[in-house]
Amino acid sequence: MTVDPGASAERTRLAWRRTGLSAAAVALLAVRPAFSPAAGPGTYLMAAGALAGWAALVALAYRRARGLALDPPRPGERTITAYAGITVAFAILATVLVTL
Amino acid sequence: MFTSLVDNPQVLDQWFNPQKTPVVGEKPDYRFSLANERTFLAWIRTALALLAGGLACAQFLPPLPIAHLREGIAIALLLLGGVVALRAVDHWARTERAMRLGADLPKSRFPAILALVVAFGALLLVVAVVIKAAG
Repeated sequence: MTVDPGASAERTRLAWRRTGLSAAAVALLAVRPAFSPAAGPGTYLMAAGALAGWAALVALAYRRARGLALDPPRPGERTITAYAGITVAFAILATVLVTL
Repeated sequence: MFTSLVDNPQVLDQWFNPQKTPVVGEKPDYRFSLANERTFLAWIRTALALLAGGLACAQFLPPLPIAHLREGIAIALLLLGGVVALRAVDHWARTERAMRLGADLPKSRFPAILALVVAFGALLLVVAVVIKAAG
């Protein structure tokens, strides 16, 4: 048993969780135009992409929580790069949505 | 900002396999790695906040007096969010590498530049609101 009075694994797990909650706000804003009466197929496609991206972010956070539950916790590797990649994809998707 | 891309051509490999590159150096205390990871996540939340702000501008602002200023602000915020996310993973990988090598942690001007850009954007919006109120 490693002594970790700073609870760093738990704090990291919670940091993943609140990042997922921030991503939920972005995903909901990206889905909102799909409910407008003027919505076209492009808007529906972007909404579906945003929800799929959000699901992927939450899945990555759950996968990461398993590595953090080990003793000693495993540091993040490719999960971190994938998470940043999906965030960049969100930025591109939102830019397309605004210019539609 | 992305100086490591010039200094170190294997930086892309470093993004994906920070524990394997470089071969030199040794594994740092996991608590330091987790602290680095939380800093990365804080930057990702900053990026997501910029994205939410950009989408909210496009959806909730009324048309501004200067043509396409609303869309311009929205797209600037969205692109800034993308840059912040890219820089977050780059800085995380560079910090991980520095810790393995026992070197100084990477310094960065990025927070100052981001603050100046956001302040400039806020000023632009204040000017737009004043023009609208006067006209």
